[in-house]
Amino acid sequence: MTDAAALQQESVPMSKSTGRRTDMRSRGEPALWSLGGALAIGIIMILGFLALVFSNGVETFIPKPITVVTGIDGTVTAGEPFRSELFKPTPEDFAKASPDWQARIKDANGYANRTLYRMGNFDIYGEDFRWVPDFMAAKIEQPHGLVFVERMEWGPFVGTVKSIKVDGVERPFTTLDDTAFVKAHETARDRSKAIRKIERVGINDVNHALEQERLGLRKVELASGRNSAEYKDAEARLTGISAGLQQRYDALSADVQKLREINAGNTITLAEIGGREKTIEFSALVRAYAANDLSFAQKAGVYVSRWAEFLGSEPREANTEGGVFPAIFGTAAMTLLMVIVVAPFGVITALYLREYAQQGRLVSFVRISVNNLAGVPSIVYGVFGLGFFAYVLGGSIDALFYPERLPNPTFGTGGLLWSALTLALLTVPVVIVATEEALAAVPRSMREGSLACGASKWQTIKYIVLPRAMPGIMTGVILAMARGAGEVAPLMLVGVVKLAPELPVDGMFPFVHLERSFMHLGFHIFDVGFQSRNAEAGKPMVFVTTVLLIALVTLVNATAIVVRNRLKKRFAGSQF
Amino acid sequence: MLKTFAGALVLAGTFAATGAYALDVDPALKDYKKKAGVEGSLKSVGSDTLNNLMALWAETFNKEYPSVKIEIEGKGSGTAPPALISGSAQFGPMSRPMKGGEMDDFEKKYGYKPTPMRVAVDALAVFVHKDNPIQCLSLAQVDAMFSKTRKKGGKEDVKTWGQVGLTGEWASKPISLYGRNSASGTYGYFKEVAMGDGDYKDSVKEQPGSSAVVQGIASDKFAIGYSGGGYKTADVKTVPLTAKEGGKCFDANSDNAYAGDYPITRFLYVYVNAKPGSKLEPLRAEFVKFVLSKQGQMGTIKDGFFPVPSAVASQDLEVLGVE
Repeated sequence: MTDAAALQQESVPMSKSTGRRTDMRSRGEPALWSLGGALAIGIIMILGFLALVFSNGVETFIPKPITVVTGIDGTVTAGEPFRSELFKPTPEDFAKASPDWQARIKDANGYANRTLYRMGNFDIYGEDFRWVPDFMAAKIEQPHGLVFVERMEWGPFVGTVKSIKVDGVERPFTTLDDTAFVKAHETARDRSKAIRKIERVGINDVNHALEQERLGLRKVELASGRNSAEYKDAEARLTGISAGLQQRYDALSADVQKLREINAGNTITLAEIGGREKTIEFSALVRAYAANDLSFAQKAGVYVSRWAEFLGSEPREANTEGGVFPAIFGTAAMTLLMVIVVAPFGVITALYLREYAQQGRLVSFVRISVNNLAGVPSIVYGVFGLGFFAYVLGGSIDALFYPERLPNPTFGTGGLLWSALTLALLTVPVVIVATEEALAAVPRSMREGSLACGASKWQTIKYIVLPRAMPGIMTGVILAMARGAGEVAPLMLVGVVKLAPELPVDGMFPFVHLERSFMHLGFHIFDVGFQSRNAEAGKPMVFVTTVLLIALVTLVNATAIVVRNRLKKRFAGSQF
Repeated sequence: MLKTFAGALVLAGTFAATGAYALDVDPALKDYKKKAGVEGSLKSVGSDTLNNLMALWAETFNKEYPSVKIEIEGKGSGTAPPALISGSAQFGPMSRPMKGGEMDDFEKKYGYKPTPMRVAVDALAVFVHKDNPIQCLSLAQVDAMFSKTRKKGGKEDVKTWGQVGLTGEWASKPISLYGRNSASGTYGYFKEVAMGDGDYKDSVKEQPGSSAVVQGIASDKFAIGYSGGGYKTADVKTVPLTAKEGGKCFDANSDNAYAGDYPITRFLYVYVNAKPGSKLEPLRAEFVKFVLSKQGQMGTIKDGFFPVPSAVASQDLEVLGVE
């Protein structure tokens, strides 16, 4: 007993002392745990964010059933259930509820559920979303035969199809899968495409030729004055040409008019749930489906065709509907142009700083300045880009090369080129720093070996140093690209606009139009999210566009990484 | 400003909404007819309130003239005058009339004033959360909520919903204020008309867009804020307003707006650089004509604003020398 007691007495201080000797702090565990914890929190937050964006973005295009709610006061609401929430009904609303519901609400501490329905039919109702509390609904059903119609204008229509008219002849409507219906829709869409082609290609050519002639005349006027013989000649020539062009234009417009008239004879009459009717042309119909009668395959079909429309077409209805193709194109073109500028400049600067410059106070000052450049807020670059690139540089270019277009600026305003240059400026420190690191990591022995073999300094750099440093340089360029593709704030000042369906690359000479403003996915997200008329309808589009932007940046980065790894392998082989 | 608005509309007379639409354009407005040989590029820089409307017009206009290039930029009404002056934009949409100083700057460069075109009627709405039971507010009460100077004669600073007559759980809840940023014409117009040119409280949460104000209110139960009436969603409701304390309250609907009863009704403008005595070139003339036509004003309805009566449209077309 005493032994045990003694042992215990002894063991208590013993264990205390051992605890003190190898305590958590000396083993570095708290640091380890907090580091691990911080990392875990970071990863969870990123994954959570991605999960939120993806789940919302992926499900947006799934067709949802149409629910018809008949209220206890007789109002009928038909639409897609959008979301629901708990709320506290006001005493007046509470009084309207049935006794049964009143008891249920009381049980739930005064809370009731309500659902937001997307009703569509904005042109008829003047509102397109409506909240319906559960206790106000007398009957909730999903009847067959209701159709969800996506239109070119006014947003979706929810209701039934009354009748269709094909080539001016009234036809009975059976189902949406009926061959007569499908064919009428297809031919109408084909006609619209034909109209578009005539307008985009034929009429565009005519107008462009006319504009070129007019600008040519103005050029002559600027060069030799209004009263000169040259001006008179050019004027006469313009009159001759424009008469010919006018004829071509008239012929093309007549074709368009004919197609439009046929389109006007192919209509579909829809009725909303209350019976009010609306007739639209087949050509204004994007897609129609019987929302409550869809099989799984049909649902998938609608889903895929919506994604295809989103990725491949132009925006409609002030960017809230349709696709984002111009924005995808603009983002990609701008990023590419930026890389073309930033990579050589960054690499050359780093090469000079590391290999040629006398290491001294001046060089370290330059280096510090470059590092500080990376910390300047991006909007400041935007202001610089607008002030220097667009107004000073662009203004001079306009005065020198495009005087006939003034006062309309050509390069003297925001555009693709200036945006790319501004972002190049913003990302050049990343490339410089990464390249310098990569150059410094090339072993001294390799350089010395090369020099000892009689190679000149430039030969050493070209054949020994740069290839070895290439993967590191690529990393810098990838980082710069990722930063550039996601940047929006400076672009808002130097060329990104809400609407510019005209792509910077097209079939008109000189094919690449660097002066044009462009659309950008990042700005598109901001625009749809914070500037669209109906914030509710815009929200899903925000998620979809975000998914797309993330996917695009990932794709660009992945491509660059694959290229880098290939380079690595290639140069690994040439090592000793 | 309010007087000129009411005057213009009384002059125009009101028209009844007819047809299948919730709201219809004035049947006396002209139909737009396409013209040949219109080409070139247009740029519009200005109001964020009018941003969507300009985009809708651009889309429809583009359908008529596919080779016309239209670019739309909208960062606030304050950005319109500099863009018009520098010539980088042909159209300057603004949600408030141009200020004297801005007019002068323009005149200094061109020797004449820019020409406003009234393109839509907007009942600038005061929004609250959809569950808010408030029935009516006077401008003095609104002023006492938003302003620290209380130029409209409110006696005390209104900080809680109880001070404007709400009871129950609302009485003690502080009012959360939402508004636009200072580049916005909506900010300026609200300051002028609803606050008698007083100063905003520092606690007003300034939002970058009209829609952002509505979204802020939708997610904040005790919020109040002002924004263009066209931006209403199902999550917010508009508060009927009265100009006089104890007077009849008018909701922000088209009838009250046209009759001039709703106290913060405004025109939305597009400013044009039009030299007096000379004609606009075809492209701009066609766009102007289109905007003030039946088709153009349909776009106004689509964006949630109210169309202008034909008398206003023909007046502005006359001033611009466009037939």
